[in-house]
Amino acid sequence: MKVTAQPSADSLLLLLDGELDASSAVLLDTEFNKPDLLGYRKVLVDCAKLSYISSAGLGVFISHLQRLQDNNVKLVFFNMQEKVFNVFEILGLDSLMTIVPTQAEAAAA
Amino acid sequence: MRAGLPFFFLIHLVRQRLSLYSLVLAGISWGLLLLGALARVQALPMLAGWPRWGVIAAQACFVFFIFLNQRAQPDPLQGYHFLGLLRRLVHGPGLLAALALGLGLIERSVSAGAPVGGSALLAVVYTVNLGLFVAFLARTNYAWRSLILFKSTPRLQREWLWFEILLSGTLMLQLLTWHPPVIVSTAAFTALGLFGAYLGTNQKWVAYLTKAQKWQAVIYEVLLLLGLLVFVQYFRVTQFDPLLLAPEPQGAFLVLTAFFAAFYSAMGLLVTFFNLPTAQVQEQRRTEILNIQRLTQIIQRGQSQAEIYKTLLATTVETVQADAAWLDVPTEVLAGDAATMECYFNVTQHEAARLRELLAGARLGAENFVDNNLTAKPELAELATRYRSLALLPLRSLQHHYGTLYVLKHIPYGFDPEDVSVLRSFADQTVLSLENLTLANLALLNQRTQEELKIASEVQDSLIPKKLPTDDWFEISTHSLAAKEVGGDFYDFLLLPGRRLAVLIGDVSGKGITAAFHMAQMKGIFHALMQGNPLAKNERDRFPVPSRFMMQANTALAHCLERSSFITSSLYIIDYEQGGFVFARAGHCHTLYYHALREEVFYFQSTGLGLGIIRNEGYEKHINNQFYDYGPGDVMVIYTDGIVEARGAGQEEYGEDRLKQRLEECYYQESDAIKQFIMNDLNSFTIGQPIHDDQTLLVIKFKAVQPEPTA
Repeated sequence: MKVTAQPSADSLLLLLDGELDASSAVLLDTEFNKPDLLGYRKVLVDCAKLSYISSAGLGVFISHLQRLQDNNVKLVFFNMQEKVFNVFEILGLDSLMTIVPTQAEAAAA
Repeated sequence: MRAGLPFFFLIHLVRQRLSLYSLVLAGISWGLLLLGALARVQALPMLAGWPRWGVIAAQACFVFFIFLNQRAQPDPLQGYHFLGLLRRLVHGPGLLAALALGLGLIERSVSAGAPVGGSALLAVVYTVNLGLFVAFLARTNYAWRSLILFKSTPRLQREWLWFEILLSGTLMLQLLTWHPPVIVSTAAFTALGLFGAYLGTNQKWVAYLTKAQKWQAVIYEVLLLLGLLVFVQYFRVTQFDPLLLAPEPQGAFLVLTAFFAAFYSAMGLLVTFFNLPTAQVQEQRRTEILNIQRLTQIIQRGQSQAEIYKTLLATTVETVQADAAWLDVPTEVLAGDAATMECYFNVTQHEAARLRELLAGARLGAENFVDNNLTAKPELAELATRYRSLALLPLRSLQHHYGTLYVLKHIPYGFDPEDVSVLRSFADQTVLSLENLTLANLALLNQRTQEELKIASEVQDSLIPKKLPTDDWFEISTHSLAAKEVGGDFYDFLLLPGRRLAVLIGDVSGKGITAAFHMAQMKGIFHALMQGNPLAKNERDRFPVPSRFMMQANTALAHCLERSSFITSSLYIIDYEQGGFVFARAGHCHTLYYHALREEVFYFQSTGLGLGIIRNEGYEKHINNQFYDYGPGDVMVIYTDGIVEARGAGQEEYGEDRLKQRLEECYYQESDAIKQFIMNDLNSFTIGQPIHDDQTLLVIKFKAVQPEPTA
């Protein structure tokens, strides 16, 4: 699992590469715990190369969801593979989080 | 070969009995020598014609056999008992010889007053003394041989053999009538003397004596030298005695051996004497080695930490002869032992605290620190009023700090490099033993944790319903398998009044103990909420509908579930009388269903958010009920994601599609057979792969409508 952060003017782009399981969830969690994260208007998560997400991986997004909302930071997922989207959907997260097909839509969201 | 056999046998026999034969032959030749001496002084008229060469030959034979006899004796040096060897030398032949000699001297002074027959007595005493002298020399020289050859190289052994051969050569030379020119014999004599002197420098054994033993050795050597001196003096005087006309005892052999014996004694005396001042250092080194061994042995017996620390302190103090020492042990290392541990030597806890403060002020590094001249450091001036040398050794492994050892001495330059390296090895050894102990304790702890996990596993197992509800309108089969000792999957059933059945399934995110706790909690919530509300207006309202149940469960969990954890769950309430069921899916896997009438297998498509994701009233919007009418022959397959996310050899997931296909193949069977069919397929799919997640599978089959039971 590789997490790459690309900051721009008002948004932070996180590129996830590989399987997000219990061990790599820690990696992502540190990224979300960085104090400057709340300074952005948007956090865009590129899931193009995210091949699997475990409940621990979902837990990272879930645990930061409220905090991001409280600070008016929008969390947007895009380029999500069907299999991964399925996991989000089953858990009901698709109604809670913004998941869009492309980066352009994510930027516009 | 055959001709050689008796010869070898003879040699073997002689070797075995050499000691005895040589003694007998020595006795005979001594007898001959005595007769010769008596003949010389004309004491016995019938011996008048005794030839001079006979005396010389007898003397040479006697000397040869006595030496041979000594050579055949077992090595006088046993192990490292150098003092025993010296003592036996002084007490044995030395003392005896000196006594006999003393008697001889008295005898001589007596006979001096009475010349008649005195010469005969003198000759006898002289011959006796000569015999004793030779025996004394032989004994001494072979004792010296043992000392010289102690820890010797093969080269030295060869040199010694040559020395013996050359010496016996001088003995044989006496028998010849031909005498080499004086210049040659003098040169050979001197060369041999020097050779002996060279061999005499091999005094390795002295190093193995303690100080007290060295003093004893000095005394024994002085006594031996005195004995030798007395002999020499006696013969020097006697050989010119007109009465005796002595048979030239001053043969080159005796002179050389006497010289060698004396030189070795003198050399040993000097070496021992000059080694006395260093004896203490050598002893200390030996103590160090012994102490390292002791410390190593303590490790091997798994003792307590306090004991290891105590040994380190005691060993250190003893080895470097410290005037004060203490151990700083971090409290977290010693835990309970600290109170009972005495880690101060010759310094009170209060003083140590003050010194520690001083040293902290000097800001010493975390490495070994040795200061042999504390007066030079102004910040340590207070320390220097009492101590002049300080050594500070941290006890540290790669991961842990086990404390610091402080050693103090009154004298300056109290710690030489060897001391420091010895202390370092003590410290390292201690760290090693402490590490070992920690590992051993950890292993024990692990074992205990395993035991506790086993208990937890048993407790959890008891939470899973063993006795499945039965009625004539449905049948249930279950399968559950935890990935670890305890898991996060759960399911439960409850028969509600009015021929209703509540079925709960769920999965706590994460695995292991935490998940197991929440699983138990869910079970508690289920049973609490399904107790029914006694204030309800009618029977149907007594029990919460599934969505209501999920909302209440979500609220209950909000307080105790950690932020990143969540629970997925589905609750079904099946009503036989109504011929339908209602369920809510809180983020749990979709329900697989076989509709008998339509002969169709499908997944229920419903929405619903997992528990613990939204922890406020907002959850209400994310959960809803779904109603469905069932018919006889319908099959409901409820499972956790451990089933559909199970991985095959190529890391591919089992998947919903495959599960659906399997049900299409087996829906007509009994619920137990359906469960078995699916599990067999799953197991053949995951064969050889470890189980990553808990697996739970429930199969409910609705049976054909039975007539109402007559109550």
